[in-house]
Amino acid sequence: MCLSNILVYGIGNEILCDDGIGPKITSELKKSGRFKNVCFETGYLGGLEILDIIQNYKNVIFIDAIKTINGTPGTVYVFKPEDFKETLHLSSIHDISFLTALQLAKKLNLPIPHNVYIIAIEIVEDKIFSETFSPIIQEKFPEIIKNVESIIAHICNNLN
Amino acid sequence: MKRYTIDPITRLEGHGKIEIFCDDDGEVINAYFQVPELRGFEKFLEGRPVEEASQIVAKICGVCPGCHHMAAGKATDAVFGVKPTPTAKKLRELFYMAHFVHSHIAHFYALAAPDFVVGPNASPAERNILGVIAKVGTEVGTEVIKQRRIAQEIQALLGGHQTYVVMNTPGGVRKGLTEQQRKDIEEKAKGFVEFAKFSIKLFNDIVLSNKAYVDLILNGPYSLKIYSMGLVDENNKVNFYDGKVRVVDPEGKEHCKYSPEEYRNWIAERVEPYSYLKFPYLKQIGWKGFVEGKDSGVYQATPLGRLNAADGMATPLAQEEYERMYSTLGGKPVHATLAMHWARLIELLYAAERCLELASDKEITSPDIQAELPSKIPGEGVGIVEAQRGTLTHHYWTDENGIITKANLIVGTTNNNAAISMSIKKAAQNIIKKGVTVDEGILNMIEMAFRAYDPCFSCATHSLPGKMPLEVIFKDLDGNVIRKVRRD
Repeated sequence: MCLSNILVYGIGNEILCDDGIGPKITSELKKSGRFKNVCFETGYLGGLEILDIIQNYKNVIFIDAIKTINGTPGTVYVFKPEDFKETLHLSSIHDISFLTALQLAKKLNLPIPHNVYIIAIEIVEDKIFSETFSPIIQEKFPEIIKNVESIIAHICNNLN
Repeated sequence: MKRYTIDPITRLEGHGKIEIFCDDDGEVINAYFQVPELRGFEKFLEGRPVEEASQIVAKICGVCPGCHHMAAGKATDAVFGVKPTPTAKKLRELFYMAHFVHSHIAHFYALAAPDFVVGPNASPAERNILGVIAKVGTEVGTEVIKQRRIAQEIQALLGGHQTYVVMNTPGGVRKGLTEQQRKDIEEKAKGFVEFAKFSIKLFNDIVLSNKAYVDLILNGPYSLKIYSMGLVDENNKVNFYDGKVRVVDPEGKEHCKYSPEEYRNWIAERVEPYSYLKFPYLKQIGWKGFVEGKDSGVYQATPLGRLNAADGMATPLAQEEYERMYSTLGGKPVHATLAMHWARLIELLYAAERCLELASDKEITSPDIQAELPSKIPGEGVGIVEAQRGTLTHHYWTDENGIITKANLIVGTTNNNAAISMSIKKAAQNIIKKGVTVDEGILNMIEMAFRAYDPCFSCATHSLPGKMPLEVIFKDLDGNVIRKVRRD
């Protein structure tokens, strides 16, 4: 069991083309072994489900997919909850949104992380089932990984 | 003519939208509900070993992975021509009851209750689960979180993971239950029953004690006289995991009762040019368009549809509530769309009671969890379960090596596609009138028409009914925007 107080949670559906970019990045980062004191998990949950997962950590970094109008595929965004609107999975049709979940947890005095970051990657395709990325995301994946890795390193340094 | 578009703000792509067309007098002529559908899942299954299907389909979406896992497990049993052992069947059903408990709790408290507890016309800032908690107290909120978490833990224990479910094998399950685990689940299931009873009492106190709400349910713009579908056991009682699919007509008379492998004799599907989502209908009745009545093949497969299609509930407390609901609402069948929320709570109680029954059954700890696979060459199989949002059918064809050559899925919400479209149109026709200002409350009243179905479009639409950003655009005959109503 991972005992770190930092969780990196890759969220998305790994068999839904670019939608799975969060889990795939998370798996790559875990394999790289660069971050020794970080826990890595993946899933495609939202809202209340997320609360169950994050409540044991002081710091949580989500990696999710996002689609914005005219966004450039492969762009990596970083949000804090206060400036975050929605990414693909941290909003949910069958649950409450992540922000509402955080507000609910505060209201109910449930343990929640002190720091939450959302790293969102602009994707192209999330409507066709496929175990591989769209060509653009596939091509940019090494660069995306590098960017995300550097962002997480920066966040971890600040937390320490 | 005016055209109203209810559309999530386009900052995020790929959402469903509602378009309402009105004549010059402001009367609604038609309404269309369009949803984006994830594509290619049936194709995705082709070429894969059928025994892996139940694990793969659990990844279709994160909302009801357990439903797809179970339907696929049953279809795979059928492909191999094997029946799970009694213990394996009980374990599967126990998992499935926990799945229903967590899902129905979420829908009621997070998505449905805000309309009633906080009020359909309340500001969106308040009309959400936080508003519900503010009204009913933090203790209830804590219990909602707790009971859902426990239901998820039971699924994770039995299924290997709460969403990446790896429970089923052809003719069995991968893991048994120890006596200590059984006792633990038994205690937890008692908590489910109490919480389900409390939820029904809450509905009674807040909704049924309020004449305006009862009027809204019975006499408001939310009623649809169509066929009802649901899985029933040998006594025609509601069953989520197994049995035959029963369909009753708008008067409650049985239209058919079919085994999974017969589904294509009774259900046909059609497409409309404006929607990716198919429109299933009753084959023997035929497609007559988006119309109500006995001569139209439109049906609903929802909590209310399941209760309408059955002769009762198989557990005592749920049966009492079943009788009370029909007695209160004027007898069977009920066509009031908003009564689905009540039906869903009765199903929650049934799932909780059934969970307790199964966990109290000591046979469930038997090590006999895997049936012997026959030497039959794999071929074709159909599996049907009730998903929270409708009857779920998986149909696989394989070659002699058990490799899937073709797959067909009819998912829960798809059954209700025509009914949802009709409910929206009817609500719009009754709510949007000449001189009525289309404001936030009006938007929500229309949303309530489809929210009752607990729809899951393509299992992964990325927006949130109830707090979904919406925009209504009023256009004149030339397509010029004359007014916008927007909700962030």
